[in-house]
Amino acid sequence: MTISDETLMAFADEELDAATRAAVEAAMRADPEIERRVAQHRAMRARLQSAYAPELDEALPERLLATARGARPASSVRPMRKPAARLRWQPLLSMAASLVIGVGLGYVVQRHSSSVLTKGSDGRLVASGALAKALSNQLGSERIPSAPVHIGLSFMAKSGDYCRTFMMTGAASPAGVACRRADDWQIRVLAQPSDDVPGDESAAAYRTAGSTLSPVILDTVQQQIAGEPLDQNGEIAARQQGWQSSHR
Amino acid sequence: MNTRGTTETIHDQIVALLPRLRRFARNLTRSPSDADDVVQIAVERALVKLEQWRSDARLDSWMFKIVRNAWIDEVRSRGRRDKIFLAEEAGENVGESSIDRETDLMSVQSAMARLPEDQRVAVSLVLVEGLPYKEAADVLDIPIGTLTSRLARAREALQAMLEPEGKRR
Repeated sequence: MTISDETLMAFADEELDAATRAAVEAAMRADPEIERRVAQHRAMRARLQSAYAPELDEALPERLLATARGARPASSVRPMRKPAARLRWQPLLSMAASLVIGVGLGYVVQRHSSSVLTKGSDGRLVASGALAKALSNQLGSERIPSAPVHIGLSFMAKSGDYCRTFMMTGAASPAGVACRRADDWQIRVLAQPSDDVPGDESAAAYRTAGSTLSPVILDTVQQQIAGEPLDQNGEIAARQQGWQSSHR
Repeated sequence: MNTRGTTETIHDQIVALLPRLRRFARNLTRSPSDADDVVQIAVERALVKLEQWRSDARLDSWMFKIVRNAWIDEVRSRGRRDKIFLAEEAGENVGESSIDRETDLMSVQSAMARLPEDQRVAVSLVLVEGLPYKEAADVLDIPIGTLTSRLARAREALQAMLEPEGKRR
């Protein structure tokens, strides 16, 4: 009987059912060459396992341990991926920079935010009022409970612009990503908590995570970011330059 | 949804898995620092979606899959960072130059590094991490037949690299 090498490999890996296993064992007894090939497969497995075993004894980086234990990641460590995106958000708008502003956005602007979002001269949505002020001045590490805006991440986008995530405080207030262009903070993405979504009863259970980034915003950041988010020193330096990128 | 107690146990289980996740990620990325980044992202993602893990499923397989997905997402989204970091990290990679004449262990790792990624990952899951074929195929979202043929080709290539004389009769 002929036995394929894949079958011999599966035999060595103990993946065969009893009948096939018995057939291979019989073949091994009859043919030393088959026995040799099985031994070769077993030796390869053993060799790989012993070659990689020492890696299991290496000391683990503290940041991995802290993350696995569920500690909040330090702010310098990839805050955009903090495991807190449970808040359900309804993406109202995820627009490329040049897209026309839609009806839904007009609704949000009117309802919640007419004082902090306006249309720029070219029709794009830009931040104004308290939002523009916070984007220009506030650091991500600052958490002023009474502030109308919380800033999350700041980063350099692939377009070469500085961008920042923000969240308006208060119920059902929008959050988004704004990028600095000339003297404006252009809104790249706007999302709203799902409190208003009818029938989504599970949303209430997640509403406590007050300052988290929504998935749609996380996605935007991950798509647009070039390199790593700015740390506090990076934010301060960028602020001193008025968020005008020196790379352009 | 997990109860509080279960969740704490799972934290412990994930901590216990970290060395293997890291080892798998190194085989996947071929860069120790990329591997740590990928594991960190994967653990964060896993904790966010713990409720999607079925407790009758193996936690290690589920986590390996998240590690692999994190790596794929990273590759796609990294763009410029790759170019900047690859040069810096070249010295850390298990590359082609630092091998040969070295210990046996070194040559296993360097032989692995030369395998195509799909074969390397199959070997890593089955032979290094010890997953059954079915589990490994699920991690990679491929049929079990595809997994076994990758594994067979990989073993043949490793055999040829590690023991070229082994082919002789």
